Amino acid sequence: MYEIRTELTLDEKLEILSDAAKYDVACTSSGVARQGKQGYLGNSCPSGVCHTFAADGRCISLLKILMSNQCEYDCKYCKSRKSNDIPRATFTPDEICTLTIEFYKRNYIEGLFLSSGVIKNPDYTMEKMCETVRLLRTRYRFNGYIHLKVIPGASEELLYSAGLLADRISINMELPTQDSLTALAPNKNMKTILNPMNKITNTIARHRVSQGENARFDRAVINKHLNNSIFGPSNNNIPISDNHNGQIGIREINNTTTSNEGIILNDHSFALPAERSDSLLKRNFAPAGQSTQMIIGAGNETDFELIKTSQSLYRCFDLRRVFYSGYIPINDDPVLPSVGTPVPLLREHRLYQADWLLRYYGFHAEELLSETRPNFDSRIDPKCEWALRNLGDFPVEINKASYDALLRVPGIGPVSVKKIMSARRYSKITFPMLKKMGVVLKRAQYFITCNGQMLYRIPMNEQFILDQLTDMERPANLKISGPDNSFRQMNLFDDFNLSSTTSVS
Amino acid sequence: MTVYTCMPDFESMMTCIYTAWASGLGHKNIRLELEPVGQYTLMEQYIHVDADSVIVDKVSNSIITKISNHFYNEITYCLLGFEQDRLDTVFRVLILGFAYGAQALKMLHFKDVFRLLEINKRVKNESCLFRERLHFYEMEKGLYVSHIEPKSQILITLGPAFEDRMPSENWMIVDDVHSEAIIHPKDRHFYIQKLTEDELNFLIETEKNNDNYTDLWKLFFNTIAIKERTNKKCQDNHFPIWARKHIVEFQ
Repeated sequence: MYEIRTELTLDEKLEILSDAAKYDVACTSSGVARQGKQGYLGNSCPSGVCHTFAADGRCISLLKILMSNQCEYDCKYCKSRKSNDIPRATFTPDEICTLTIEFYKRNYIEGLFLSSGVIKNPDYTMEKMCETVRLLRTRYRFNGYIHLKVIPGASEELLYSAGLLADRISINMELPTQDSLTALAPNKNMKTILNPMNKITNTIARHRVSQGENARFDRAVINKHLNNSIFGPSNNNIPISDNHNGQIGIREINNTTTSNEGIILNDHSFALPAERSDSLLKRNFAPAGQSTQMIIGAGNETDFELIKTSQSLYRCFDLRRVFYSGYIPINDDPVLPSVGTPVPLLREHRLYQADWLLRYYGFHAEELLSETRPNFDSRIDPKCEWALRNLGDFPVEINKASYDALLRVPGIGPVSVKKIMSARRYSKITFPMLKKMGVVLKRAQYFITCNGQMLYRIPMNEQFILDQLTDMERPANLKISGPDNSFRQMNLFDDFNLSSTTSVS
Repeated sequence: MTVYTCMPDFESMMTCIYTAWASGLGHKNIRLELEPVGQYTLMEQYIHVDADSVIVDKVSNSIITKISNHFYNEITYCLLGFEQDRLDTVFRVLILGFAYGAQALKMLHFKDVFRLLEINKRVKNESCLFRERLHFYEMEKGLYVSHIEPKSQILITLGPAFEDRMPSENWMIVDDVHSEAIIHPKDRHFYIQKLTEDELNFLIETEKNNDNYTDLWKLFFNTIAIKERTNKKCQDNHFPIWARKHIVEFQ
């Protein structure tokens, strides 16, 4: 086993600790608008900023590192698990601060994403992380974006400090059910994840109300036009989960925290003295909210379970984002997919598409999937899949349809709908105009009419449209899922059961 | 047909619009083009227009007071582009603007409005691209210099964003294509300055000052990518190759 060497250089530490942090998906710098101020370095842009794109096509926005990859836990899916024989390193707070400041001044990054393995115990680790961020905010006068990962099991005082120092804090849910968590992460349990998540939600709400804002975060403007949105006031009382497969906690906590009007400010928040030193920084508690991450393909969970859990998290805990991470087999363990198993990239892509449908298109998880149809079709996107199951609602007349009806047409997004609604006040919309507006006609053509006419004579037949869409999407799907390596040379003897010793009569 | 031509700077273009409008020849009989004109035709009359700052103020005030501030901003963005037809497009949209008011920009059935919005979208995307991707090199202790080679004249749009981001630093962004620079002294407002060839040549040398942090960034950039998910095409789509000229990790 490698020994922990204190004389590791900064380069070596950066290499080890950024390599260990790369499996964390969250790298957004969005959700908070903060202007710069003299004497300080940095600001924050609500839409987020992508500074570059890595070789895997993922955006690099923050300096994503672990404080340490030493870990007392032994989660089976994790590279830094205790039983793995890998080089270990730990940054000092000053090293992290210097790297962040110098990279920020060169416009390489938008801020810091700090996570860590569990050193000694969750409290010790969380305290070290808070110390680092406090140093960055005070001595280094950093005013940019900071995303801090919460260590499950850390004490309330430290979580409160973390929220006051960072812009976004997050606790990784990793797996959506207690059963899969017990099997793959024996040191974690749903209660130590959901309890702090609930308290963070309520503390954020308290701070927002004290600033004269809504308790819940303002979602995309388009949700105001959608009657059926999961963020709409009329939908907060929809049953959350069926509590199956050990999906505990969400309903219990939800019963005490939400009502028809949204979040009730109850005792489930950090009730700590206001004169704490971190409060003196005059910062709101986690102004960019909280997020979480779930691993796809390590356990046996279905898409329906995942997307339903996400919906519950958005509605009960007012999470800003749920990230999905296709499991990359790095550890050899009998309960996990074997090393070399392809990463489920297409499944991850479908889940993100469905997640967008929940947050921007007014869909519900129950509309997209059901117990009898628990997984998404890999051939077409979830919106097309829904449209094909509901062909009775189509075709939609572009010049007359309502906001939500237009938004449910495959190939039309929130931006196009806004343009259509604005332009049709002055003239009739035609197909060439739709194309210029950015509507994807190759998908939308099966579901719309302009002035009573479809683009071509198209039979409204589910199988016909499915065949057309499948054929069209195949190259795009192949790009995401990677080349199909199952092709091989056919063999007469193996494939057609011919014998090599044929008798001639 | 009478063709009014001018140099592709903001003041000349605004003066050209005023002169063409005031000619009284009828809007259908006029066309506006940017110099250098690609191909002259025998049957058209070409009139060159020079910049006049008094006329620029007149045109600007007229658009802001009679149409709207938003309309003026949209037109300005369009004029920053590199498209050869941008001046004529702005002229045609102004005719619609004075006829219908600020709502003319929502009338997408007019092809010139569509074209203007198309150019604007591209210019704003380009501005956003450079705001996110440009890299500073430390020329000397506490002085940061960046080089960009944009297609459009987006330098002016970068000033406010970086002044807010780094108000207490000395920095400079150099547009190598249009020979201009934004200069920001510590704790003061930024200003734009035209650069001479000698100054440009001197400033180009700054990129050779590689310090330890450029190497550390390259190291971070390479380790943060997940090997099993490599997707070159996705990377190229998000970060176009033409915009990678002064980017540390692609050197």
